[in-house]
Parts: sequence; C-alpha cells; structure tokens
Amino acid sequence: MGKFTKGQIEYFLLKLHSLTGLVPIGAFLILHLSLNALRTVGVLPYQLSIDALNNLPFLIWIEVSVIYIPLLFHSIMGFYVFTIAKSNVFKYSYPRNWMYTLQRVTGGVVFVFLVYHVGTTVAPKLWFGHHLFDAAPFLIDVMNDTFTTWTGRTIYLIGILSATFHFANGLWGFCISWGIVIGPQAQRNAGYAFMLFGLVLSVMGIATVVEFSLHPVSVQPTFGGTS
Amino acid sequence: MAKRTKRFIVIGGGLAGLAVTMKLCEAKAEVLLVSYQAVKRSHSVCAQGGINAAIDTKGEGDSPEIHFYDTVKGGDFLAHQPPVRDMCFQAPAIIHLMDRLGVPFNRTPEGHLEFRRFGGTLYSRTAFSGATTGQQLLYALDEQVRKHEHDGLVTKMEWHEYLGAVLDADGVCRGAVLHDLRTGAIFSEGGDAVVLATGGPSQVYGKTTGSTVCNGAAAMSAYLQGAKYANGEFIQIHPTAIPGQDKLRLMSESARGEGGRIWVPRQAGDPRDPLTIPEGERYYFLEENHPLFGNLVPRDVASREIHDVVYNQKLGVGGKSMVYLDLTHHTEEYLEDRLGGILDIYQKFTGDDPKKVPMKIFPAVHYSMGGIWTDYEDDGHGLIDHKSPRNQMTSIPGLYAAGEADYQYHGANRLGANSLLSCIYTGLMMGPGLINYSKNLTRHYEDIPTTVFSQARLNWEGRFQAIKKMKGKENPHQLHQELGEVLLAHVMIVRENSKLEKAIIQISDIETRFSDIQCLDTSDWANPEPSFVNQLHLMIHLAKIIAKGALVRNEFRGAHYKPEFDLKQPPKFDPHEFVDYLEQQQYGETDESAFPPDHQAYMKRFEENNKRWLKTTIAQIKNNQPEISYESVNTSLVTPRPRKYD
Amino acid sequence: MMEALIQLKIKRQDSPDSKPYWEEFTLEHKPSANIISCLQDVARNPVNRSNQTVPPVVWESNCLEEVCGSCTMVINGRVRQACTALVDQLQQPIVLEPMSKFPLIRDLQVDRSRMFENLKKVQAWIHIDGTHEIGVGPTIPEKQRDKSYVLSECMTCGCCLEACPQFTLTNNFMGAATFSQVRLFNMHPTGAMEKEERLEAVMGEGGIAHCGNAQVCVEVCPKNIPLTESIAEIGRQTFLQLLKNLFLK
Repeated sequence: MGKFTKGQIEYFLLKLHSLTGLVPIGAFLILHLSLNALRTVGVLPYQLSIDALNNLPFLIWIEVSVIYIPLLFHSIMGFYVFTIAKSNVFKYSYPRNWMYTLQRVTGGVVFVFLVYHVGTTVAPKLWFGHHLFDAAPFLIDVMNDTFTTWTGRTIYLIGILSATFHFANGLWGFCISWGIVIGPQAQRNAGYAFMLFGLVLSVMGIATVVEFSLHPVSVQPTFGGTS
Repeated sequence: MAKRTKRFIVIGGGLAGLAVTMKLCEAKAEVLLVSYQAVKRSHSVCAQGGINAAIDTKGEGDSPEIHFYDTVKGGDFLAHQPPVRDMCFQAPAIIHLMDRLGVPFNRTPEGHLEFRRFGGTLYSRTAFSGATTGQQLLYALDEQVRKHEHDGLVTKMEWHEYLGAVLDADGVCRGAVLHDLRTGAIFSEGGDAVVLATGGPSQVYGKTTGSTVCNGAAAMSAYLQGAKYANGEFIQIHPTAIPGQDKLRLMSESARGEGGRIWVPRQAGDPRDPLTIPEGERYYFLEENHPLFGNLVPRDVASREIHDVVYNQKLGVGGKSMVYLDLTHHTEEYLEDRLGGILDIYQKFTGDDPKKVPMKIFPAVHYSMGGIWTDYEDDGHGLIDHKSPRNQMTSIPGLYAAGEADYQYHGANRLGANSLLSCIYTGLMMGPGLINYSKNLTRHYEDIPTTVFSQARLNWEGRFQAIKKMKGKENPHQLHQELGEVLLAHVMIVRENSKLEKAIIQISDIETRFSDIQCLDTSDWANPEPSFVNQLHLMIHLAKIIAKGALVRNEFRGAHYKPEFDLKQPPKFDPHEFVDYLEQQQYGETDESAFPPDHQAYMKRFEENNKRWLKTTIAQIKNNQPEISYESVNTSLVTPRPRKYD
Repeated sequence: MMEALIQLKIKRQDSPDSKPYWEEFTLEHKPSANIISCLQDVARNPVNRSNQTVPPVVWESNCLEEVCGSCTMVINGRVRQACTALVDQLQQPIVLEPMSKFPLIRDLQVDRSRMFENLKKVQAWIHIDGTHEIGVGPTIPEKQRDKSYVLSECMTCGCCLEACPQFTLTNNFMGAATFSQVRLFNMHPTGAMEKEERLEAVMGEGGIAHCGNAQVCVEVCPKNIPLTESIAEIGRQTFLQLLKNLFLK
C-alpha cells in the first residue's frame, strides 16, 4: 500500500465513478422511478411504498452509504471529468458526440435538480425531528403542491428526463469502457437497447408527473400519525 | 579506464537509417538520429508492392542465387555483383527478422508468410503487407528505434537538417553540421562516423512519385565536399502515374493487368468528352504497336511509347502530358471487385470515378539507381565480408551512405520490390563494419581540435546569413519548378544528345538566375525558406550530374535509353547464344557459321559496347562542374549478356 | 461548381507566443488542385489579397499520398490531411487552421511529439532477443493478421486527437491512437508477452479511463481504423487486469 501512483489512483477513481453510476445510483433510480410509478396505480400503494422505505431499519445509514456518498462522489468526479474536457459538438456534429455532450449537460442538470429535490423532500426531515415526522403525507403534499404549477411540472420533467438519459446513455458508455460490448455493430445494437431502456424509465417518470398533476390527492398518516 | 562509448550520427530516418540505428544500438553504441521531421513520416512509407526474398515457400525452386541473377540482369549488369549477391542471400533472414518485429505480412492459410509474383522474375518472391508494405516495414523499425530511444541509446534530432560533414585536416569525417529547423540554430556534432541514409533525389525533377523531402541535398553536400557520386543518369520511370498539381501518385500496374487500355484521341487536342469519342477515332497505340503484349508490355517500353505519343506525335490528351488509361468497358461491379482499393486512390486524389470516366495517367520519375559512391569488401567467395569497415563507406573516410542514397544494388535499372530490400539490407549489413571502423580509429572526434568543429559551423552560418541576404528577383520555388521542367523535358525517358546539350545550357541558365534569388523569409523561427534555397542550390548540382552523365554515356542501358545508340537486337535472338559465343571465344573455337550473321554482328556490337560502357559513371566536382570518369564493374560472378524483353 | 479562382483564408501565427492573424490569398484555379498545390502556389507567388508580399505559409508535408500523416490540418473546420483535400470538393473561401490540440510551431505547423511520447509510455514495440538470424517468426492466422494490419496503418497523424473532446492542449490524455496501438501489440504473439506492462501504462495517468465515448475519433480517422472497437477492447483488457491486480496478486 501507499505505492500507488497518481495515475493509478486517478484510474481507480474514474472507474469507481463509472461503477457508482450503475450501482448503487442507477439501481436506486430504477427503484425510485418504479415505486413512484405506483402513484399511477393509486395513491395507497404509493403511500405504502413510502412507508416501507421510511420504516427500514438503519435508514439513515442506508441512505448515507448507498445514496448520498455515492451520489456525492459521482457528482464530484463528474465535475472533474467535465472540467478536463471541452465539447466540440458544434464543429463535429456526429450523433455520438451529441450524446457525449448531452451526457455532461444532463449530469449538471440532474445535480442541480437533485439539490432542489432533496432540499424540498428530504431535508425537512432534519428540522421536523425524526420521531415527529411521517413521510408519506408530507411528501405527497409537497408533490401535490409542486405539480399544481407549470413551473414545478417543468422542473420535474426536465429533472427526470435528464436523469433517465444520463443513466441510459451512461449504461451504454459503461458497457464500452468496461469492455462488455466491443465490435462496432455490438456497440450500435447496445445503443438501441439502452435507448429503449431509457424510454421505459422516462415513460414511468412522465406518467407519475401526469398522475400527480391530474389527480392531486392528500393522504393521512397510515398509522394515524403515531409512529 | 571506463570503456569509451562509440557514437554515430545517422542522417535520415527511413528504412536504411532506422535499420543501421537499430544495429548500432544493439552493439551498445550511441546514435544521434537526424531527420527533417518525425522519422515515422519518412518516404519509405510510400512503397506499396512488397519486398523480395527467395524463401521459396511455394516449391517453385527459387533460390537466392536466382534472385541474384534476376537482380543483376534487371540492372543490365551495371551493379557490382558481390554486394548484390550478398543482399539476395541475406534477404530471407531480413524478411524473418521483419516478421519477428511484428510487420503484418500477408499470410498463407497455414499462417506462414505469403509471397506473390512481381515484375522481372518468374518466382513468387515478394512478401507484402496489404498495399502498404513500406509503411509497415518502416513502422516496425521505427518502433525498435523508439525502444532504444526509450533506453537512452538513441537521441533523435527530428526537425533538424544535415548541412555538411565536419572534415578534419586529413579529410576524415568527424561529425556533422546540423541545422535546427525550428530555432534556426546551426551547430556541429561529433561522431565516430556519419551515415547518410537520406533517400533518393527525385525532387530535382520537381513533380515525381517521391516525397517532398527526397531532395538529394545531403548527397550533394557530400559531393561538394569531394565525395564521388555514381551512376546519376540512371533514373527509373514508372509508366502509369496520376498527374497531380502537387505530385504524381502511382497507379498500380494491376489496372492494366485487369484489362485497362491505354489510348489517346487520334486528333491532336481533341476537346471532346472521352466517352463520346468513337472507337475509330481512338489511338490504342500500345495495342497497335505491340499486337502480342498489347497494354501489358514491360514498364520501360510502355513509358517510352507514351512519351513518343505525347512529345513526338503531340497527341497528349487535351494537348497536355497525359494519356487515357481506360477501364470503363468493364462493369462497375467487376471493377469494384477486382480493383476497388486502387481505384479509390484515383478517386480520392482526382475526384473522378475511374469506373465512369477513363483515368488520365502519365509516366513519372520514380527511383534513382544512382547515388553516392560507396565501397564494399568481398569475402572472396562472391559475398561480402560483413566485418569490413569499407562496406558502404563513401570516398570520404568516416562518411557512409545507405539506402536509396547509395548506388550499389540496382545497376542500370531496379527490379520491383528490391528497393525496400536494399534499404534494410544496407542498414543492417553496415552495422558491424561501422563498429569496427570506430574500434580501429586511433584518434576519435573528441581528440580533434574544437576549432575544426567551430570552423565548420561558422562556414555554414556564413552561408545561411548570405542566403538570407539574397534579395534578387527570382522566386526559389518557381525556379525549382523550372529546373524540374527542364529535366522532365530533356532528361527523361528518351534521351537524345541534342536535347541533353540543351538541358545542360538551360540548367546553367537556372544556375545563373539562382544568384538573383530572393530569400522569401528572413526570420529565424521555423523558417524553411533559407534551407530551401540551399537545397535548390544542391539540386542544381545534381541536375548537372544527371544531365552530363546522360550526355556522355552514349549507349542504351537499362533506364538510360538513347535510341541513337540502341544496338538493335535481332528479333529472334536468344541471350543464350551469347553465352555460347563467349564460350567459343574462350576456347578459341570461334565458329562464324554457328550463329546467324545478324546475330553474330549483334553480339560483336554488344561485346564492344560493354567494353566501352559497362562501367560505373563517377561524377566529382571540379571547378563547380561535374567531372565524369568511369570505373570498372565487378562482373566476376555472372557474365553480362543481352537482355531480352518478352 | 467550378470556380475560376480559389479563395484561401489562412490562420497564421509567426511563433508560439505571438498573436494569430488571418491572411487571405486568391489563387488561379487548376484542375485537380488540392490544398497542398494551393500552398505551393502561394510559395511561388506569396502575395496576399491586399497585394502585399508576405513570407510563404509554413506547413508540414511529405508523402502527399496520405500515408505519412504530415500534412494534417483543420480545413473548413474539419481536421484532415491537406493532400486529400481537393479544392473542387470544398466550400469557398477555404479556411485553413493549424490543429488546435498540439503546441503551435508556426502558421499551420504544430508539434505532435506528444503522440510519439505516448507510444514510449505504452511500450509500443515488440521485444526481440536480437536482430541476428534466429529463424522464422511466429505463425499467425491470416484473419488475425488482417485485423492487425488495419490497426498498423495508423500514421500518427493526430486527427483522432484533434477531434476528441477529452483531448486538450493542456491535459495528459493519451487518446484513441495510443490505445489502438496497445491493442495492436497485445494482439501479436510476441508482443503479448509485455501485455501487462502496456495495460498498466494505460491504467495510469491520462489513460483509458479518461475516454468519454464521444466517438468522434472513428469518424475523422482517415484510415478508417476501428478506434472505438480498440477502445472497448482495451477497456476489457484493463478491466480484467484490474480484477487480476485486486484479487490475484
């Protein structure tokens, strides 16, 4: 130990950046979008899913280690990657170069969106005091409020679409940089597959937004407010 | 006492330069490798066809001995035979070495080296790597030299120019004067020996198949310092090249092999679209003049015919120096399948699709058989003593030459796919001799007074200052173009003494105008103009050597075609008759009736001509003019005999 | 359309630390003219559009048949070789700029030493016992030879790097050309003996992990080298090497 060169450390961190995008962040994104999509089935399943998550034991530790630290790491490395390169998409306007540029742009957009999203949904927990706080009614109210305005809807649509693009396109890049798909034809096919995958995730997200906007329904704490 | 490290200066990073560098590094010597640009960009990359070695993988009965015979015969017996024979015997080992270095040579189904047939032989002897054999060979050597550079034995001085040798009071080469093409600095470097692996001189003809760095300047600088230049008049012409504004690019012979027809409109200057010209108004001159071989006559014959049609009959397409090479009678599918790659090259550089319109082609200057005179030491058994420091040494002690820059291996005409071989061979072969030269030195460059080096540097600094002060009317690039035009018009495929005399006068005019040149840029930083002016001056000297050599040599040999002195071989003559004839002479049994009278007369003419002209042309500078003399050729192994083209 | 005249607009710079400026030239149109012949014409008559005599444009060239890589420059916004840039296929005025990702020397000439230094870093060569005669080379299937050949046509021209958004003048990214050479040498039976050393090199500073998959390299490569395939292949090799380093050493 301690013999690693700067280059080796950098390689390792960049690989970790790539990996954290897939697990846990990507995995969490799938989970998050699919659970939210329960809202389109009905408000109750949605509420129950929030309860289930919020009643996980050691929740805070899980959140910090599986979401916040990886996300923060991925973001910091993302900004590093962003700063050492310089997009030339207007000079060399090939589709893949557009995807490359959008990957960086959406990364930034998602970061800003997440600051807003976490700030409005999770952060309040901190000043409510955990024992007094029942997540589901609070979160559903926040969402109902957000989706009454076009501003809120737009912010969420941009955030969700950026995240799904960033994830799907990132997966494609992951497959190449880890040498999972190699030949040009395989790379093209993988591109189409991940495009479809991204589309599915996007539809789930959009459907949830639409449902919230069309049918805002408030709920009571599942367990009568006593937790 | 610490062992002294040997140090060599190699000028040029093509195949020959890299091969000798690799060989010297292997002997733990230090090498300073000097090149105009990154060595990986050297002209060797342009060679397409392949490299010869008689490995006989196809059970055809080929052998290095036959390769040797083909080579000297192809060169019209003008090459010294022991070095050529040694090259041919080393060739198989060279191919195996290059293969081990990673050259992606084409393979047989079993995974062994594939060989194909090339001009001038009946055997499959040419190893190749796609259509870029030269590039692949060069890269393999470049990689080895990079490894030695990485290990600290090679110091590369890319973006540097060789100006001249540093000669001590005894006329021994002790180093080189170099010119940093970025900073403009001129400085001397010391070395045990200097190797000029500086390639061919085709730029003297202006537009050729050569690269822009092939200007022969280093060779001419050596010549001006007293080195002998040999066989300058022997310049190989390739019959089918694509005319371009900037250079002439080769069109592979396979286009004719696949049925390409060469023609011009019968009416001079016919402005019509070639496709609208009816069959009867087209002049398929090769087919008409050579009913048997048609468009597939040998290269030199094709070149001469095209030259005749364009210059004597004035039938060039649109009044210009080109003829049609027509493939449009084939379907596009057929052409794509058989010739796709090479037709793409034509389209890439002309914008025209040869599947739809006839290609326009013209012969182009391709290779110089001549070069700096170099020595060799044979081992008494028809091969070379590889340990001898004499191998590849020029007439200046300590100054060596290799590759296309030297003259030894191709005689009067080079066989296809032998050039890559001679470059790598000379580079590798001369290594041990150079090491021994260094070992045998009683005084090294470190022992030479520093004033010798500083004086050499000062001379060149003065020369460049003088060039920068040239403020005349002539544009050097324009003058270079005109010099090329003179040579192309008068010292090309067909040589006539009246025209050669005219060329010498015109070159002399250009030399006069040279003193009225304007140096177009006088700044110090990355300024190629003063160098170009200096190179032009050297090219003018080379033009004089070529033209004078051609004028004086009153015979037809190999690439040097003088119709006036054609010995007119009888049509049914068999070269073996000449061997019988010589045998009879040897045993004093001359039987006049044994041969048809015209054959007998021809053989006598041939014998007399060889007595007079089977000699190496030597040019040496005297009063600013080339002084031509002749040296005998070593023909100890194969008796020179008439060549027959069928 | 065939123009009677050629308009050239060239970005010039006298030295690395001086200011760039634009200079325009008008040239006579010649059949099958390319950018090289235009620059040669400028040298034969170095007079700009304002009728001032100026020093000829400095650029790099050698083979003029797209095998040496010298004359690479940015023509009408796209990096390519000047020799294959035919005037009749270009929109006028034709704009010439030096490559922007390499230190500028003068006018259209840049210093591409970085590419050659990278070849040293990854040991892009085959270790041999010596150049003496030791028999035939390894047997290689023609199919594999064919793959190597395509990679071996790389002329270190720098197009892939100039067009790569991850490759900049100041960072240390190695770029597609280098990775493709690593693949070439790792593929060779003898070259494979140093595979690990090469992989360690591209798992270091400026290595393969910096590739952002913009894939412009493969679009601009004049030799149609499958660079993105090489990148993925080296991605796989380095990943396996990483596993080996983590769990087997």
